[in-house]
Amino acid sequence: MKEFELEPGEFVVEQLRKHWLLFVGELLPFAILAALPFAIPKLLPLAPPLASFSVYFDYSTAGGRVLLGIWLLVTWTSAWGAFTRYFLNVWVLTSQRIVNIKQRQFFSRAVSSLFLSRVQDVTTTVEGVLSSFLNIGDIKVQSAGEEIEFVMRGIPRPESMRDLILKYVPEEDEQKPADRQ
Amino acid sequence: MPGQPLQPFAPPNMILGNLPGGLTSGMLITWGWYAVCAFWVVYTLVAIYHWIKYSHASWVMVPAIALHLLVSSSLIVYAFTGIWYL
Repeated sequence: MKEFELEPGEFVVEQLRKHWLLFVGELLPFAILAALPFAIPKLLPLAPPLASFSVYFDYSTAGGRVLLGIWLLVTWTSAWGAFTRYFLNVWVLTSQRIVNIKQRQFFSRAVSSLFLSRVQDVTTTVEGVLSSFLNIGDIKVQSAGEEIEFVMRGIPRPESMRDLILKYVPEEDEQKPADRQ
Repeated sequence: MPGQPLQPFAPPNMILGNLPGGLTSGMLITWGWYAVCAFWVVYTLVAIYHWIKYSHASWVMVPAIALHLLVSSSLIVYAFTGIWYL
């Protein structure tokens, strides 16, 4: 792990990302953008006043081919960038803490840690029909003292993750003296 | 039309009919193409840098980068065949 050093005896228990289906949903606008140049020439004749514009979508011309290539290249590159950001946003549960790595955009990255000894409450929320069927939900982890709150949205099997977090939360008598304030 | 030679580019007059002197629609598209290529190179390098630095050597890194380069190069070659005829 380059963003944070594991303490002696600490190990990674689980790495978690947003459910892949939600990411597929994020890809939908890119799919629509990619389909537009092929759909528009077929749709324009359906509206007679606009039918004459369909000749501008002729990809047998050199310019049409370049413009189509540019359109698809920009769309594909943007979609791939979205996947990169999706993949680099991750929660890491170790035996001692939760690390929340947020990649908002390129060159904008936040890494925050919450020690399990400070965890006060873990709440899971599953809302909606689709989320219930697919078991996708949110987890909110609250800490004692500084009132830090970690929220991860759209993760798979949130209840299992909550149980896993709670499994590694140390009992009161296991905590270090410094944590017991 | 597959199998037919590329037709010369005839831009819509209402859009590209009144270009400043000396500037042709073909030049405009060619320079637009160069700008997109420059954007693509920078964006791809930045993204690959992030993959290498932050993906924790995940097995997904290599297929993700390879797929991007494969799809992008196909699209670049496709667009470049148009540039060739401009």
